[in-house]
Amino acid sequence: MLEQIARVLCWLCIGEIAARSGLLPFRAPVTGLMLLYAELAVRGKLPDDLGILADRLLQFLGMLFVPAGVGVIAYLDVLKNEAMPILTAVIGGTAITLFVTMVVVSRLGIAIAKEPGQLEGAAGDVNS
Amino acid sequence: MSTLSQLTSMTWANFADKPVLETGATVFAFLAATRISRLGGNHPLLNPTLLAIILISLGLEATHIPYEVYLRGADVIHFMLGPAVVLLAVPLFRQRSVIRASARLIAVGLAVGLPVGILSAVGIAWVLGASSQTILSLAPKSVTAGIAVGISEQIGGLQTLTIVLVIMTGVTGAVLGPIIARLARIDDPRVVGLTMGIASHGIGTARALQINEVAGAFSGLGMGLNGVLTAILLPLIFRLL
Repeated sequence: MLEQIARVLCWLCIGEIAARSGLLPFRAPVTGLMLLYAELAVRGKLPDDLGILADRLLQFLGMLFVPAGVGVIAYLDVLKNEAMPILTAVIGGTAITLFVTMVVVSRLGIAIAKEPGQLEGAAGDVNS
Repeated sequence: MSTLSQLTSMTWANFADKPVLETGATVFAFLAATRISRLGGNHPLLNPTLLAIILISLGLEATHIPYEVYLRGADVIHFMLGPAVVLLAVPLFRQRSVIRASARLIAVGLAVGLPVGILSAVGIAWVLGASSQTILSLAPKSVTAGIAVGISEQIGGLQTLTIVLVIMTGVTGAVLGPIIARLARIDDPRVVGLTMGIASHGIGTARALQINEVAGAFSGLGMGLNGVLTAILLPLIFRLL
């Protein structure tokens, strides 16, 4: 298990170095995520301990946002003053996203999925 | 009230150098929030993170402990966000056969859902006259919170506002997702799940899991891939602007 914690921290550290040196325009955890995925893809299998570690930590992922989220008490007046645009943007924007995405994917996406074609390469890139 | 603050300042003197109190309070608040949420049948509106934020905020208000002091103490928990985001690679890797089998469907979902998610929110907020700080904090609203805070900071938004907006988006997506699917007469669990994950990250995924396993798996994929792609694309776009 300690090995897996070291593995995660190692990729996170490399991500931090890449971010601070300006090598990559991403935050350290995002680089770490991609590096860990790449490592697993190269290995071809998931170490059992790593799976357990991920399940345990991600189980209470929601708790990890609490300290930063509490900071919103300093911005309650922003939320109050801009309540109308914020609520409309969040609720309206999410409803539009859900509707448009579902309709396009169910029409176009499934049609494309059934018909092997040029999109294969482009879609494959998403995995990497 | 005064005895309470006396008691807390007394306890405070003993704990001030160690993060036990803040860490403990955060864990306890989240545990209590999880229980409350469970009592309510895990309804998306009873989001444990949001409930815990409210509980801690009320606690800080009552004890007059400044937020900065609390954050310094709860830093241990805040720190774990980084490793947790790295570990999001694990569920993605577990679903790699699904990604491969449905690559085109997923690619279409991301190609539509990612830009529509950002532009619809930013556009509405801009038209209705929101401040630029709010608009920037809104931009990554559909992304899972751990990744969204980083994006928000990079493009000049407020991390803490983004967290609340991300949770609000998740709750909205979890409630509206199944309703919109019914209205649009879409019952393919792959499409519904994928869309809910792209539009409303982990909270939407928890709801999609209640539909069925397929919807849950696609939702988790939508969340993970949308998070990584938005983290790559949004700062690049902002750099070009």
